[in-house]
Amino acid sequence: MRAAGKIDASHEASAAWRGLTRGRVAFAPAGAFPSIRAARGLQVSAHVVSNRSPVLKILLADDDEHRARALVDTLTREAPVTVVGIAPGEMLPDAVIRHAPDVVLVDMTRPDRDALEGLRVLSRERPHPVVLFVDEDDTSFMEEAIGAGVCSYNVGSIANAEVKPILRAAVALFRQLQATRTALETAEARLRERALLDRAKQLLMRDRRLTEPQAHRWLQKRAMAGGQRMVDVAEALLGQTERKETR
Amino acid sequence: MIPIRLGIVRLVDSAPAVVGDAEGLFAAEGLDVTLHVEPSWANIADKLAWSALDAAIIVAPLALAMSLGLREPKRRLPVPMGISRGGNSIVVGPAVDIDTQTTDATQAAQAFAAWLRGQRTPPRFAVVHVFSTHNLLLRHWLAAAGVDPDRDLEIVVVPPERVVDALDAGRIAGFCAGAPWGERAAELGAGRVLLGTSSIRPDHLEKVLALAPDWRAANRDAAAALCRALASAQAACARADRADAVAALLAQRLDLPVAAARRALPGGAAREHVRFAAAGPVPQDEIAWLLGEMRRWSWIRDHEPPPDPATPVEDTF
Repeated sequence: MRAAGKIDASHEASAAWRGLTRGRVAFAPAGAFPSIRAARGLQVSAHVVSNRSPVLKILLADDDEHRARALVDTLTREAPVTVVGIAPGEMLPDAVIRHAPDVVLVDMTRPDRDALEGLRVLSRERPHPVVLFVDEDDTSFMEEAIGAGVCSYNVGSIANAEVKPILRAAVALFRQLQATRTALETAEARLRERALLDRAKQLLMRDRRLTEPQAHRWLQKRAMAGGQRMVDVAEALLGQTERKETR
Repeated sequence: MIPIRLGIVRLVDSAPAVVGDAEGLFAAEGLDVTLHVEPSWANIADKLAWSALDAAIIVAPLALAMSLGLREPKRRLPVPMGISRGGNSIVVGPAVDIDTQTTDATQAAQAFAAWLRGQRTPPRFAVVHVFSTHNLLLRHWLAAAGVDPDRDLEIVVVPPERVVDALDAGRIAGFCAGAPWGERAAELGAGRVLLGTSSIRPDHLEKVLALAPDWRAANRDAAAALCRALASAQAACARADRADAVAALLAQRLDLPVAAARRALPGGAAREHVRFAAAGPVPQDEIAWLLGEMRRWSWIRDHEPPPDPATPVEDTF
């Protein structure tokens, strides 16, 4: 990951101004989103443009504590960045105004991501658009990010080149945890199914005086006849018996 | 069987997708449709753009905004059919102490404008997305009563499933959102329905079907089959005698509050209903109206001419 701290801050600040005048703001509909223009927003976001610190500030919108902690570790290990979060109960756009970050990383399962669309953070006379990170030249990266379930917004006109390594790190981590979770869930589901089958067999052995292989075949035949999985037959059988026995 | 990933949001207007799936209407057309319930409109837009969805039920102005490049990534989305008309409610919380009995949009707007004039700071009003029918209809209604929606109130975006909580907690003074959330707010005593959006613009276009451009280019027959299946489902959803079953399905599949959903369906007791029967192909006059409103608020700038509304809708908006 590129060290954000190596970038000349004054150069970046002027680039930010040029970016704005070049018409990035056109993507935020003028007048569409008058909101969130509280005085504190004006003060804080003025700081972003005129005195941007060489350290990138990232607002991380992820309620998954474990993942968020891991991501903070990864991001801060490789470059001088500041990572901030959302206060409990705080609305996402309010957090954007309070922290005035350069980048907002968002877990795509959050319903409040819509609140960032068309949002502008006002600073002095100039509105700062909040714009989704899009790299039209790298379709596979965009698809990978969406598959991983994480997206990123640029606040103001920070260069995509500066943001991409951050998003790339987030995508890698989201994917890694997704894979671990899927593997874990599959293993747990298998264990649950095994336990269900065992209980159903024991029931058949008790009530119908079958041997274990006979009980297995009984479930298998039922499953094939009904176009079901054995575990579904087992579950239905256990359900019926429970209802009978609780009567 | 052709696999299709169809994106929807937890709203009553997603009913044709849910009914199509539950009643085997997609399978009858040789389609293996998987419903993807997305938590945000942004997810719907991005997944259509980056090949994570093949088709989606989407709020009409967002599809327009993507086609015009007002929201990145710019994509010319084919929009072969309308899904629903009407169905949104303007709901106010206890702070807005005005009479909500009238069903006349002009009278309601005047009462609301009078209340607004008495406020020291612009109250917060929520819509569900910046590029939404909700935002455009709310602005249109307010402007007709002499209210400047950019100055006299603060329009914020709150996801539909959270508007009721936001109203209850006093974080917003009111909202404009789709069914069942208006009825839900009333049911829980968090707010009162002031107006249905059909009384602002009768029979206004609400949700449309949008297709991922690359998918559609490679699957023209499947796209047509999807439209046929959804049209059959719409017909089922439009019947008052089926509304109980549809509401039950929406509760089961989308975890929507069943009574509130039922009231917003045909024959229900709500002031505003979602209508499916009259949806059909995308009506050009509705598109022209939406584009005109988007231009009015300078979302579309003069040097970015909108697509000709007369462009065949078969291809794009």
